[in-house]
Amino acid sequence: MKLYCLSGHPTLPCNVLKFKSTTIMLDCGLDTTSVLNFLPLPLVHSPRLSKLPGWIPKDGTMNLEKRELLDLSTIDVILISNYHCMMALPYITEHTGFTGTVYATEPTLQIGRLLMEELVNFMERVPKAQSATSWKNKDMQRMLPGPLKDAVDVWTWKRCYGMQEVNSALSRVQLVGYSQKVELFGAVQVSPLSSGYSLGSSNWIIQSHHEKVAYVSGSSLLTTHPQPMDQSSLKNSDVLILTGLTQMPTANPDGMLGEFCSNLAMTIRAGGNVLVPCYSSGVIYDLLECLYQFIDSANLGTTPFYFISPVANSSLEFSQIFAEWLCHNKQSKVYLPEPPFPHAELIQTNKLKHYPSIHGDFSSDFRQPCVVFTGHPSLRFGDVVHFMELWGKSGLNTIIFTEPDFSYLDALAPYQPLAMKCVYCPIDTRLNFHQVAKLLKEVQPLHVVCPEQYTQPPMTQSHRSDLMLELQPPPMPYRRCSVLNLPFRRRYERVYILPELAQSLVPTEVKPGVSIATVSAVLHSKDNKHTLQPPPVPPTKKRKRVMEEPPVAPKPLLSGAVPLEAFLATLQKHGITEVKVEETADGHILHLQAEDTLIQLEEDGTHIVCDNNEPLRTTLRDLVLRFLQKL
Amino acid sequence: MLQEHVKNTFFCWKGSLNAFIIILLDSSPVEGVSLLEVSPCLLGFISSVVSSRASESSIISFALKLIGLVAAAEDGFRALQETSVLDLAFDPQHWREEGLWEDPCIRIGWIHGFSTMLQHRQAFSFFVRADSIKPLLQLQTDTSLFVASAASQMLTQVLMFCHPLSSGFNETEVDNKSSSSSITGLKCPNATESDHESAAVVTEILEFLKRRMLPKEPSQLHQSQQILKLLASILSQAGPSLQNKLLLTVGESLEELVASNYSQLTRPLMDVILAGYSSVGGDVKVPDPILSRLLSVMLNQREPPDLIHAAAAFLCSGHDNRIHMEQSAGILLLPVDIITSLTLLEGNFTVKEHQLSMMEQLKNKTSCVSMICISLKYIPKITLMAPDCRPCPPASVVGAVLSLLRLCSGLSPPSVAGCVTVFRNVTGSGKVQKCALEALSALSSSPEVKVMLVEVFTLLIEYLNHPDSDPTVLQKSYQALLKWIGVCSNLSSITNQLKQDLTQVVRKRVCDMRWEVRDSTVEFLGHLAGLPACSTEDGGVCDISQYVLGGCCFTTPLLMEALHDPESYVRASAISALAQAMRNSWRQGAVPTKEQAEIVTQLLEILSQDTEGFARRAVLQFFITWFSSYPSCTSSPLLMQSVRSVLLQGCADLDWEVKVHTLDLAELLMDQAFLGQHGYTKGLESHPAQPHPYAVTAKQAYTLHTHSGTHTLSSDLDGLVKQGLLSVLLSGLFDCDRPVGLKACRLLIRLKDALLLRPQDTTDAGKTDPGLNCELLSQGWAHEIRNVLGMEDRTSGTDAHTVTINVCDLVKCLDLEERLDVLTRSSDHFYNSPRSLLQDILTAGSAHAQQDSQLKEEVIVDCY
Repeated sequence: MKLYCLSGHPTLPCNVLKFKSTTIMLDCGLDTTSVLNFLPLPLVHSPRLSKLPGWIPKDGTMNLEKRELLDLSTIDVILISNYHCMMALPYITEHTGFTGTVYATEPTLQIGRLLMEELVNFMERVPKAQSATSWKNKDMQRMLPGPLKDAVDVWTWKRCYGMQEVNSALSRVQLVGYSQKVELFGAVQVSPLSSGYSLGSSNWIIQSHHEKVAYVSGSSLLTTHPQPMDQSSLKNSDVLILTGLTQMPTANPDGMLGEFCSNLAMTIRAGGNVLVPCYSSGVIYDLLECLYQFIDSANLGTTPFYFISPVANSSLEFSQIFAEWLCHNKQSKVYLPEPPFPHAELIQTNKLKHYPSIHGDFSSDFRQPCVVFTGHPSLRFGDVVHFMELWGKSGLNTIIFTEPDFSYLDALAPYQPLAMKCVYCPIDTRLNFHQVAKLLKEVQPLHVVCPEQYTQPPMTQSHRSDLMLELQPPPMPYRRCSVLNLPFRRRYERVYILPELAQSLVPTEVKPGVSIATVSAVLHSKDNKHTLQPPPVPPTKKRKRVMEEPPVAPKPLLSGAVPLEAFLATLQKHGITEVKVEETADGHILHLQAEDTLIQLEEDGTHIVCDNNEPLRTTLRDLVLRFLQKL
Repeated sequence: MLQEHVKNTFFCWKGSLNAFIIILLDSSPVEGVSLLEVSPCLLGFISSVVSSRASESSIISFALKLIGLVAAAEDGFRALQETSVLDLAFDPQHWREEGLWEDPCIRIGWIHGFSTMLQHRQAFSFFVRADSIKPLLQLQTDTSLFVASAASQMLTQVLMFCHPLSSGFNETEVDNKSSSSSITGLKCPNATESDHESAAVVTEILEFLKRRMLPKEPSQLHQSQQILKLLASILSQAGPSLQNKLLLTVGESLEELVASNYSQLTRPLMDVILAGYSSVGGDVKVPDPILSRLLSVMLNQREPPDLIHAAAAFLCSGHDNRIHMEQSAGILLLPVDIITSLTLLEGNFTVKEHQLSMMEQLKNKTSCVSMICISLKYIPKITLMAPDCRPCPPASVVGAVLSLLRLCSGLSPPSVAGCVTVFRNVTGSGKVQKCALEALSALSSSPEVKVMLVEVFTLLIEYLNHPDSDPTVLQKSYQALLKWIGVCSNLSSITNQLKQDLTQVVRKRVCDMRWEVRDSTVEFLGHLAGLPACSTEDGGVCDISQYVLGGCCFTTPLLMEALHDPESYVRASAISALAQAMRNSWRQGAVPTKEQAEIVTQLLEILSQDTEGFARRAVLQFFITWFSSYPSCTSSPLLMQSVRSVLLQGCADLDWEVKVHTLDLAELLMDQAFLGQHGYTKGLESHPAQPHPYAVTAKQAYTLHTHSGTHTLSSDLDGLVKQGLLSVLLSGLFDCDRPVGLKACRLLIRLKDALLLRPQDTTDAGKTDPGLNCELLSQGWAHEIRNVLGMEDRTSGTDAHTVTINVCDLVKCLDLEERLDVLTRSSDHFYNSPRSLLQDILTAGSAHAQQDSQLKEEVIVDCY
């Protein structure tokens, strides 16, 4: 069993598991932090950005390096854990020869599609007049000014995919429900379990009859909107692959939510606007729910809240229809019937308004001071770019970062100098180290595989030994491009016996409850299923010879062990008294001194060594046989 | 007949028996007249209860206690002994045979009875002859904690009683403490009487202590603890001679126990040692060498958690032993020294010896947190030690606490030399944070720490800013900040950046999601405004709130916003804080600004509309503060106008505390109007009686600025009636809540005194004074007054609904003194007298007698 690690990003994993002749890709997260190296794409012409000095490259040649760990076309299935971990799907399913199936839950597919659509929309609605690629050349890159010069693996950076690729990639997705068992080629069974992180998010169990691998990615034990995490099904795994822990181990989500609210209220009270760059699905539901309760207590009843995204409407509505994927409280609301999320009420009362973009209705409804939720959290594209340009110059306004994926300082870099107040409240509800230690103690996997980042304290806080995984045996760390041999041997395989063959067997009881029988059969292996069939009937023309030669009875098989004390007593009865017993690693050696004979008693064999004394050998053999059972 | 009836009825009243005992004790007989003489039926009752086989254990327990009470007097004792009831009642064997000794209630009755009885020589002889010391010693380790504790107390009492006798009593040897018999109620018998019995009892007790002190197995630890508690109690009361005797007997066992390292015994052992230490007084300066040795072992050779406990106990005891003080201080500083890697204990090699073992203990989370918390609790005491005695300068201790707080919030340690496992134990620990913040608050008053102000300020702002700080931590941070700001007369070291940070964080915290945090923040603003002025960098004097936060222009808008908070506690705190913030301007008699007028409008709105009592009470307090601090109240139309509305609304409130506050305000009005007038006395002068336990007490003493008396009493009163004062007082008088009625009654009496004793009243003036009339409606309290007065005769009514009445007549007719008497006595007074209790018992008894006799025992009536 091997694990190929294609991503080194602990929360955007992409690993390939080779297990019993199947090749399974676990997630395909897309690390988009490289966009921070680009300038923002403004929706409205920005004189400031357009006037930035260009860089004239010297001549150079293109030489893209290829470094493939494995052939992506050989992948049989892709298992997706949550919508954040599928953003690279078009890069894998398209143009690589991939012919397999992608498994995901329905909310994962639908919201994943929304996020992809949003990304494509953000990119395509601001067409670039020109594009360059030569800078990806290593020699060229070396000459670029920092930090571009130091950016890693620039050659792997790719252009954003288009809608057609998205549709094609998503058409390969097959929907699964929690705990549904999917057979893969008869060899393994995969099954998604609720992971409690986001709508439809899952952990996966990959198991054969005798082996079980658990894949834990992006899980949460907090009581937010999704169904709670299923922990018990993770028990008794041989290997547990652990990814997607919180990116902010020191930021407690509750504390951050509190910070978010108080900073928001503080800004509004002072007459400023609040900008929240965020993804269009996920934490925003919890933020809106929290604000729903907070608005009245903070006297913010008259402040408008705007949610601007090409998929804002779909995102808000989708969240209300996936009732079966929600936590118990929200599910029970559906039967009242009430919308599970309170943002429906905010929309009804006109406190929350949503728009596909800043153009159109929004510009006529826009009223300040207000709170705007919009993408993209990287501040490089999407409507947020416009608000940065609009509000950045006033110290009354505040930008509150809630997504932990991007460094907020890097995100803000192209907007400097900035008068706007910045607040960083990353809300990451994924498991923290304390929770994961408790979880692992409970589910007790034999081995744990995790990104190497989890095996040491964060670089900047070397004294925080509580921010790492400490396990016995220690976890197996992986990094990008690692290939791990997973440390368990497959020892058993399930084999079926046809009824007619089973009927012909004559079991002998070797000890109470255990019977054995000898089997002569033909082993058929097809679709990873093994069956024992009766041996073929010999051709009829040989019948005569059969009559001539009576069948040779097979030599009886012996079973059992020779008990030393009883055997010595028996020897004594037969007049062999001078026996020297020597203990060996596998059993005992008896030296019959008078007869100058050795008897070697071992776990799986007994040897009698005597020189040319056949009667003695036969006697001894019979004595040994008395203690063994014949089959 | 009555006696039989009382006895029978007692069975139904077991819940009240203890109350009865208390009452019997309270109504102690007149000198020379014994309890038996007062109630001769008790004797018959006691003997029938003790000899009856059907008595219930609670009745027997009661009877035993009663016997003790009766037998405490010698004639009572003799009377009881004649009936031989004593032998039977105090024979444990008798109760065992009855199968009742197992009931702890009998055992406690036995102890209490004996203990009360042991007041004279005869009783003691009876105690010795009955060989009661043996069961008493057994009860000392009883399974019931109450029994065990009572037995310990009695053993101490017996020992104190016996020792002077057994040691050949003479004047010079009297132990100072043992002669303080008033504490235990013992009366020493004839001094010349030598008593072998006493000596035997003392020896038996001491031998018992020695024998049982050492636990032979861990299950006996409880027993050892009990013995040590007893020993500590004896040592703290014993004089030098008994102490010497005790220590000679148990010294060896104590040493063995100290060496045995039972950590559960650390505290009781320290109690024993310190009790021995404390009793060293008078001319004896040097404690017993055994005690010193024991103390040295406790402070040197135990496991770290025990060392910490021992050191804390020693430091707390306040003993002036330099070596042990230094040692204790060092031990208490050691955990903080290890965690923060700051060299607090440089050169203290004796303490450093424990470093390794302490480090091991700190790796365990539970013991780490517990040790650090104890250490933090006592650290401030260390900084108050004499400079040549303390292990390090107080500023270093403050530095260490700051480092610890940084570690707690997950920030980098000051030095990498610390142990990572230990860091993990304190990181995020709310308990350590709270203890450390408390320590930091306490350290503000230590000497030589002012230099740390900026560091403390910086850290506390960090804490206030930290998203994960829980509400209690934030509250403690605010408290610490206030303490530090309060003690530093010069705040010039606080940089503008720090001030700005504080402003930002306060601005953020008043918007916090948690109401507790908003409440603490608003309170902080109020307290800060209430601090005295500080000196600034340019040598000037400045209001602290002004200097640190920018004063009212920052504070007031935040507090006004908080008046609309959904949580009533926050609204109430905001109102109090506003009062604090505005107090200075009131004191200076500044004309109210437009903003203040707006606040007043909002407050009156809260008073009339807020659904929660807290906020409304706070509004009353606001006006009380304003009224009492404003130099010339009548010159502020806004104030006088609002006071009228406040009085009107306050007396109609549903909350009794609001009403009492309204009366407080009315009192201030009266004081202002009448002070200096003949016959008028201020509240406390006329009624020094202690306040009712539930009564609201003003948070600060109000000083009233009285006007120069150009007005006459009549015109003053007229003004007050117009303000609505009389309605407030009269409605209060008939209020169903006793504190309100009481307060109103007292105020009315003062008003009456002032009116009746004024000079012009000596003549016939006043009655026709038109200014002294008031109107009575026909509803509510006015209706009550009409009823009291029989209105037809005294009124000159204009219509059927409203009548006008002369104030003087009114206050005279209300019979206020009688009313005050009834109100002062409280409801308990009437029902709690023995007479009423007996009446209740008899009534209940006769009621039950009519019912089925089988039900009789089932009925338990509580007379309270």
